[in-house]
Amino acid sequence: MASKTPKPPSSINGYIVLPLQLQALPSFKEPAIHFLYLRRHEARVPTKDDARTLFAVNVPFDATEAHFRHLFSGIGGGRVDNVKFLGSRQHPTTTTTVEQLIASSTKGNNKKRKRDRMDQEDKAAGELPETWDRELHLSGSTALIVFVDKGSLEATTRALKLYGKGKLALWGKGVEGGKVPALGSERYLAHHTLCYPPSSTLQSSINAYLTTFAAAEAARARHLAQKRQEPDEDGFITVVRGGRTGPARHEEATVVAEKQKGKGHYRDFYRFQLREEKKKRVGELVKRFEEDKRKVQEMKERRGRFKPQ
Amino acid sequence: MDSHATKKRKVEHDSSSYGTDEWTAYMRIDGQKENLKFAKHRTAWDMTSQDGQLLAEEMYKSSMFKLQLDELLAEVQPNYVKRMAPVENALRKLKTIIERIPDREPTDAVEAEKELYRHHKIAVPFTDPELARDVKYKLTYSRPTNINIVGSYALKTAVKTSGIISVDMAITLPSSLFQEKDYLNYRYFHKRAYYLACLVAGINEDKDCKFKTRFCYLNGNDIQPAVVISPSEDGGVDDFSSSRCDIRIFPTVSGDLFSNAKLLPDRNCVRRFQGSPGSTSTLAPTPFYNATLMSECSVIPYLKLFHDTSSRCGSFKDACVLGRIWLQQRGFGGNISKGGFGHFEWAAVTATLLQGGGPRGQSLLSPSYSSYQLFKATLQFLASTDMVANPLLLQTEEFGAPKLGVPMFYDGSRSMNVLFKMTLWSYRLLQREARISLDMLRDTVADSFEASFIVKADEPLQRFDLLARIPISPEILSQQRSVDHKSVTASFCQKLYQVLSRGAGDRATLIYLSGPEAGSWPINEPTPSTGSQPRILVGFLLNSANAGRVVDHGPPAEAKEEAAAFRDFWGKKAELRRFKDGSILESLVWSKESKTPIFQQVVLYLLDRNFGIDVTKAVTFVGDNFSGPILMPGASGTQTIAMFQPIMTEFNKLERDIRTMEGLPLQLSQISGSSPKLRYTSIDPPPSSGRPGANMDPADVVILFEGSGRWPDDLAAIQRTKVAFLLKIAEVLEESVEDITARTGLENGDSSIRNISFLDVTYKSGAAFRLRIHNEREQTLLERLLKSKSLEPRKREEAILAQSEYKRIFAQSRSHTQALQTLCTRFVFLSPTIRLVKLWFASHLLSRHVSEELAELFVVHIFLQPYPWESPSSVMTGFLRTLLWLSRWDWRLDPLIVDFSGEMKVGDINAIKTRFEAWRKIDPGMNRVVLFAASNLDPEGLTWTQFGPSKVVAARVTALARSACAAVKEAGLEIVPETLFIPSAADYDFTIHLSSRFSSYRRGKKPSAKHTIFKNLQTHAGQDANVDLLGYDPVRLFVEELTNLYANNIIFFHNSHGGTFIGGIWSPLATSPRPWKVNLSYSTKPMVSQEEADEDENPEEVARLVVNKTAILNEIARLGGDMISRIESKS
Repeated sequence: MASKTPKPPSSINGYIVLPLQLQALPSFKEPAIHFLYLRRHEARVPTKDDARTLFAVNVPFDATEAHFRHLFSGIGGGRVDNVKFLGSRQHPTTTTTVEQLIASSTKGNNKKRKRDRMDQEDKAAGELPETWDRELHLSGSTALIVFVDKGSLEATTRALKLYGKGKLALWGKGVEGGKVPALGSERYLAHHTLCYPPSSTLQSSINAYLTTFAAAEAARARHLAQKRQEPDEDGFITVVRGGRTGPARHEEATVVAEKQKGKGHYRDFYRFQLREEKKKRVGELVKRFEEDKRKVQEMKERRGRFKPQ
Repeated sequence: MDSHATKKRKVEHDSSSYGTDEWTAYMRIDGQKENLKFAKHRTAWDMTSQDGQLLAEEMYKSSMFKLQLDELLAEVQPNYVKRMAPVENALRKLKTIIERIPDREPTDAVEAEKELYRHHKIAVPFTDPELARDVKYKLTYSRPTNINIVGSYALKTAVKTSGIISVDMAITLPSSLFQEKDYLNYRYFHKRAYYLACLVAGINEDKDCKFKTRFCYLNGNDIQPAVVISPSEDGGVDDFSSSRCDIRIFPTVSGDLFSNAKLLPDRNCVRRFQGSPGSTSTLAPTPFYNATLMSECSVIPYLKLFHDTSSRCGSFKDACVLGRIWLQQRGFGGNISKGGFGHFEWAAVTATLLQGGGPRGQSLLSPSYSSYQLFKATLQFLASTDMVANPLLLQTEEFGAPKLGVPMFYDGSRSMNVLFKMTLWSYRLLQREARISLDMLRDTVADSFEASFIVKADEPLQRFDLLARIPISPEILSQQRSVDHKSVTASFCQKLYQVLSRGAGDRATLIYLSGPEAGSWPINEPTPSTGSQPRILVGFLLNSANAGRVVDHGPPAEAKEEAAAFRDFWGKKAELRRFKDGSILESLVWSKESKTPIFQQVVLYLLDRNFGIDVTKAVTFVGDNFSGPILMPGASGTQTIAMFQPIMTEFNKLERDIRTMEGLPLQLSQISGSSPKLRYTSIDPPPSSGRPGANMDPADVVILFEGSGRWPDDLAAIQRTKVAFLLKIAEVLEESVEDITARTGLENGDSSIRNISFLDVTYKSGAAFRLRIHNEREQTLLERLLKSKSLEPRKREEAILAQSEYKRIFAQSRSHTQALQTLCTRFVFLSPTIRLVKLWFASHLLSRHVSEELAELFVVHIFLQPYPWESPSSVMTGFLRTLLWLSRWDWRLDPLIVDFSGEMKVGDINAIKTRFEAWRKIDPGMNRVVLFAASNLDPEGLTWTQFGPSKVVAARVTALARSACAAVKEAGLEIVPETLFIPSAADYDFTIHLSSRFSSYRRGKKPSAKHTIFKNLQTHAGQDANVDLLGYDPVRLFVEELTNLYANNIIFFHNSHGGTFIGGIWSPLATSPRPWKVNLSYSTKPMVSQEEADEDENPEEVARLVVNKTAILNEIARLGGDMISRIESKS
């Protein structure tokens, strides 16, 4: 493939192609070049940071903020403020459910909104400890690189235009020597250790979470109780869960309905029922036979099913 | 009814088609027409669906079964018109040639033999040349009275096989050649041998003849030489090589030539070892000789019987074909070396039973039976009648048959014992096979069609639990001698069988012997040359409960006679012992410590005692070497489960400790194991001692608390509450139990609704457990979550994942473990077989794809539905049959259904099949559901296959199993089991070789052997015998991470049981160039192809993205870091 294209295009589909030299490793000595695709960020919903943000495609799986900082300073670009990796490993906001609960129960309620802010603060405490020391990204994923200011971005763009004439930049230069957590067995050992956080840490995180959760539940119960009392503008009271005679759970209702079904009917009382039953049986037999025939035909098409070995 | 009319028509045709006495070319042509008509009937037989259905319900197992039988019958029937035309031609030619062979003058035996050799270079195939020369009668040749085509070809019940078809031509010798007393002392056979030699001379002399002639033994019986005519292969007019046949010519005589009474099985007709021809009653009977002679006389009567029967009973021929296939698949044939029960015997038994054999002289079978009913009834007859103990005499006077100790089906109308070629052991095997097949046909749940007719069930390695090869030296053979006609090998086998079957007792359920088979030989030699030293193959089917017994109890000392017999049989091995219950018994004690398994000790001792040390030394065993790779040599069944005893004991301790725990808000309701270690099926049994550390994984355990309304009604909150519970348990346990470590760990950090926590409990003894809390509310909550329509796709995916994980680790794993625990104690060899099969999957780097539970289901299926065999009683049969089944399993069309309980109904099975078909309909490309493995515990069928293997990997499993089966077949008894476990690196696009520190990881080594494995861990107390490192497996984490990072673009193959490399295959989707796209899930490079670049000035417009393989491999190398020694890529 390489022989066909002596030189890769310098841009593709509006993206600047940024080839990066990868460090040859003792286990894999073949020289390898990584291609990063960059362009100015154009968000669907514009934000104030757009002007100083680059959109990067095909981010190396091990990229960190430090990597990009050193990369751009290495090629003479501007300073990176922060990097937002998109489509990386899903990081759940563990308290979403609580948040949602609260959000749904506190709409349009000023007092509750204040609580909400308090919850936000508690949230960090409710998080479980992280079990990886460094996040990796899916192969070929994207990132938003935010520079300190618009000027930095422009400086970078200029540098990128000049880039490629000389030597390729080395990916990961400047971050060696323990500036980012190492990969390899060390990473896995660290993970294994992180999986067992001290029980005190764990306990306090759980306590925080459960306190928040209990508070949210209580808030919600209160809200529902209130709703049960308040008629809407047409004078109707919305039926909501909870309360002494609240609506039954759906699953329970289905079970009961299932039980009720078929009670009090006789299937073999009238002659026509018997006749129909018989007809149905014969029909089923015929249907099954046709099905079998089709199956056998199918088997026949796969050779060897009817040939003794 | 329409079908009735067709049947009637068919009967008419058939009755007009036979005319046995005169065989003419004209008739054959008529027969061909017949054939065409017959073909037409077959299509007419396929009636309307309704008729077929009604008929099938009554006369066949099921309509499906009937349809399958029809297809089978159509498939095996050779094309008589097209394929057989050349051989018809050749037969006509042969007839003409034989009819014009000139007569010969009567000559003295010696003179005649010399003359033939001198002029024609033909040796007369006398059985016993000495005896033949030493006689006074003269030998002669004259034109045969009749030439008939007989056998399955004439009956049109021949079956297409991979081999060639034999066409039998019977030549009726003129009665004038023989005298009344010729039945005695081989006189008939000598005259016959000379006649045959003259016939060959005549055929070869004829100037029209271009056929090749050789001698062979008819059915391997060495007093019945016959001529094999094979095609000239010169492409001439008479060349019939395209028919893929040979013609066997053998002599016969008219049925009334000899007195039937003199040839009854209890009479003696060979007087050579007895001096004077005294009163015949005192002489030992010669049933085999007599029956051979009778079989010479009854060729034409049987031909008549078959034709009569097939005209009387429309389904007779089809039943014969079915019987024939059934026998063939089980290695039975008319040849003595194949058990002496072939299609002729089958047809003879069926035909005879259609005439009699029932109570009060009525027939046992009815002509109105369908072919399947006839087949099954014949099987039933074979399975249920013991014709050794109770010889069956039909239409004849009583005679002294019962004392002979041979299977006897005496057909009085034709004065012959149909089973005369069978040995005692082949008869026992036939009975057993019939019984197994009958059980299988009665089983409404199993698919018995394939097992009955398609699967080849006679591979010795898959059939017998243990095989012994015993070379037989000429010295041993020369000691053998018998009155009846019997080859020396046969006499030796007889003795061997007696010794072994008495000595093995209830350790073996069946012993089968097979000797060498004699082929054909050139006409200038009188007998086939015995090439290399012949060997007897002894196959044992073991009784797994008894085979490893250490002490045998004999008769009590008071029973003098029996004790003496016992001592006589066992020699110095027998010793008198007093047992705990006070009884004093003759007994045998075998060595438990010896490397040789006990059963083999018994066999070797018996051989040594009866046949001498030379035989014993030369014996080789095949079968136990399959337990080598994972088990201790010589480990017997009970020891294998015993290896798991320590951890089971510790588990019981854990249960006690947890149940007696105080201070928990909820009462414990259940604690159950859900790990292979706790169901006897992990590849390595857990080490029984030593501190736990990185060398082992903890065993999974699920605990369930009593129901409570206080659990939160929210998934994420439930998970957090579980953590709180685990912390509490850990605290209480560490307080209340000595020497215990309890550590709460986190998992699935990227999800809030999946199980996020576990508790590792480690005892000082080395046993480690991983506890997870089961909460039944999760199920409903997940279901509710999935029902809500507003769920965003990502959340939905997570919920689906959580649900399937819930089902797997909490619901299914528990019942699966319980079921397997029970089965492993029921089937002694289930546990070692499962472990070997798992090792096989691991060795071929399939650890990540084939889950342990799936592998267990495969093997359990082999044990619970062992058809066409019985449940394996050795690791070898279990393992090889699993491979065979894997190689044959068409997972595209068939689900795997395992019935742990044995109580599944047809309805349950059909429901599962329907579900399977629904999946195939929804997802015909098999992108989501590939293998479908259901059981009575898991009718959904996807629990263990949802996350692999994918279609590619499933196909690879099939291919690997196929090549393993082929290797086994090719190597035969020389098989070296280890060769089946060597992975091939050639099939992968690239291989990631692990550095030696990590590759030898987790191979079940003793912890002490790997002190220096982790250089970087020395700060962590230096050893891997460190509780902190319990369950730490960097390679597994590495492979898991790789799989996540390159999800759909690379398939990784890894052996979690100590593989030295990881294999990778690029997905074909990722390797083709594609236009620009932002979120491609792999590293790319832009590329402009040369032509396009030339055409277009703007390269940017035509640039495409190509997978950047070197960059990705570099990434992998970066991620692996110190764990990888090198990456090798193909391209």
